Amino acid sequence: MSSFTMTQKTTAAALALAFGAALSVTAAPVSAADKMADMEKCFGVALKGKNDCKAGAGTTCAGTSKIDHQGNAWSMVPAGTCTKTASKTSPTGFGQLVEFKKKKA
Amino acid sequence: MPTVISSALPGNGASASAPNLPARAGVGLKPEHFRQIIDTQPNLGFFEIHAENYMVDGGPFHHYLTRIRENYPLSIHGVGLSIGGETAIDVTHLNKLAALIDRYEPQSFSEHLAWSSHGDVFLNDLLPLPYDAQTLQRVCDHIDQVQTHLKRRMLLENPATYVEFAASTMAETDFINEVLHRTGCGLLLDVNNVYVSCINHHRNPYGAIDALAHQSVGEIHLAGFAQEQDGAGDTLLIDSHGSPVAQAVWQLYDYALNRIGPVATLIERDNDIPSFDVLFEEAGQAEKLLQSHTVRENAA
Amino acid sequence: MSTQHEFFDALLDPARPIPAGLTTWNGSDPAVRFAVYRNNVIVSLIDALADSYPVAQELVGEEFFRAMARLYVDAEPPRSRVLAFYGTSFPDFIEHFPPAASVPYLSDVARLEMLRVRAYHAAECATLPADAIAQSLADVDQLPTSVIRFHPSVRLLRSQYAAASLWAAHQGIEDIATVDPEVAENVLVMRPHVDVEVIRVSASTADFIARLLDGATLGTAVEQANLADFDLRNTLSLLVQKQLISSITTSRGKQP
Repeated sequence: MSSFTMTQKTTAAALALAFGAALSVTAAPVSAADKMADMEKCFGVALKGKNDCKAGAGTTCAGTSKIDHQGNAWSMVPAGTCTKTASKTSPTGFGQLVEFKKKKA
Repeated sequence: MPTVISSALPGNGASASAPNLPARAGVGLKPEHFRQIIDTQPNLGFFEIHAENYMVDGGPFHHYLTRIRENYPLSIHGVGLSIGGETAIDVTHLNKLAALIDRYEPQSFSEHLAWSSHGDVFLNDLLPLPYDAQTLQRVCDHIDQVQTHLKRRMLLENPATYVEFAASTMAETDFINEVLHRTGCGLLLDVNNVYVSCINHHRNPYGAIDALAHQSVGEIHLAGFAQEQDGAGDTLLIDSHGSPVAQAVWQLYDYALNRIGPVATLIERDNDIPSFDVLFEEAGQAEKLLQSHTVRENAA
Repeated sequence: MSTQHEFFDALLDPARPIPAGLTTWNGSDPAVRFAVYRNNVIVSLIDALADSYPVAQELVGEEFFRAMARLYVDAEPPRSRVLAFYGTSFPDFIEHFPPAASVPYLSDVARLEMLRVRAYHAAECATLPADAIAQSLADVDQLPTSVIRFHPSVRLLRSQYAAASLWAAHQGIEDIATVDPEVAENVLVMRPHVDVEVIRVSASTADFIARLLDGATLGTAVEQANLADFDLRNTLSLLVQKQLISSITTSRGKQP
């Protein structure tokens, strides 16, 4: 079966066949997903509620220091798990300071 | 496997539909503890949620809250209404609140004496108000609007503050009492906030408890604070909700119960949330004090 | 100018002087105390972003992430009092944030994380059990003109990077050293029951589901599929097994 010959009739038949198989697989004790090449993972991670009425610790300076996003005032580089991956699109690689101009909003 | 369970637990089940919060200890409900609460059905007076966290369409938050609500009284505590805001009350938000209240039929709804929005920006903090005639009028108007819209009485929580205003013409306790008097709303007495604000502004916390309208208190909050210093090196307490209730606040709570009588009391923890057992134990401390005052009241 | 307007401006911009008329009992500088409010606002919003984007934070490290989040909070403070979805535009911000250019996949991993948050809080909706789907197969001729509706939690991410594998590497599933970030991936996010699930699907399966999500008929979606690597049966098995189908509407009416 190839696409150019596929009329409504054969589409209907193909769909019925595939659905039939999908439904029979679902009824079987072994899950269909196990047979699929696709990765599948399930997580029950609970998200936190983000609204609350606490105050942050008063000593942090996050709210009082201005971070300047201009020119080379930004001196931080990504330094997390990304350093463990390689990227062809990054000629400078990771962990190097790159000077840049502020991007206009 | 026959196991005798839970029928001996007082409070749960029957009281889920009670008209008011029981004069018992409750705990702030955290998603981290959903499953344990459902599995173990701890003997607690009530749970409290932050309204805004449940203003989502569906999913686990509603799934678990629905199950927990079947067995416990509930307090819905708003953190985003901006009652003290110069910006008008957000009616869309008020409608969401009304829907949430319709859905869960809580025993209590409360909000803060503070502002948290300006224009269309939400600042996610409880910001302080000057205590003057203009603010009093605005706060009362907003509470009237909320109570009318929700068709129920609300409780207003006294704030923890770090600055005061030169524009203030009345004491915080007088301001609050006047709001209670004019609007008929109740008081959510946050004993930790009383303590924090009184230390921060060099006032007597026991005097503040004395001054507030005792008959209006519908709920009490207890929480932990963090300690910092201000520009002069004096103590500045931060309402951090990140540690156990301080000894000084337990003492003030005991004093408040003496004056007011036993009232539903919440243990709040929003930072560094410990295991449920830790909060349950802290609620047990509050419960003991509540019971001792109940006994005293009955003996009197 | 109103009191709160002045307060508001000073909260969000530390370069501004603090509002006039603030007092302290001991005559100490009110700016020190006002800083508590500045911190509460900024730190709580950065925390909200860190809660929604934990993998993005791990990828670039906490220090970089929080500094970047700080700039985003400046540019896009919340417009809703419900913070559950605060930072929906953060992935776009990351994509155009020059210091993050060396991690080109960061924005797509962040997009995947927000899709999970969206799926987590999506509305409840009854889905069709297998026997109800079987019923709608009774009239085979109707199948090509049928339209499938999905559970509201179902979302699709088309990434030119290995967004799912990179995300999975931070869940203890894959080893990040073995992930080639440059391999394009398509990810289906869903919450059929209580838990959010993330499934990597083939490009052709993603095409097919994307068309159905757009409201195309089954017939159109099948006919436009790239048959070279499209497995209709496996794709339908996924939709059936995960119970993602909320309705099948034929031209003769809704089933069942």
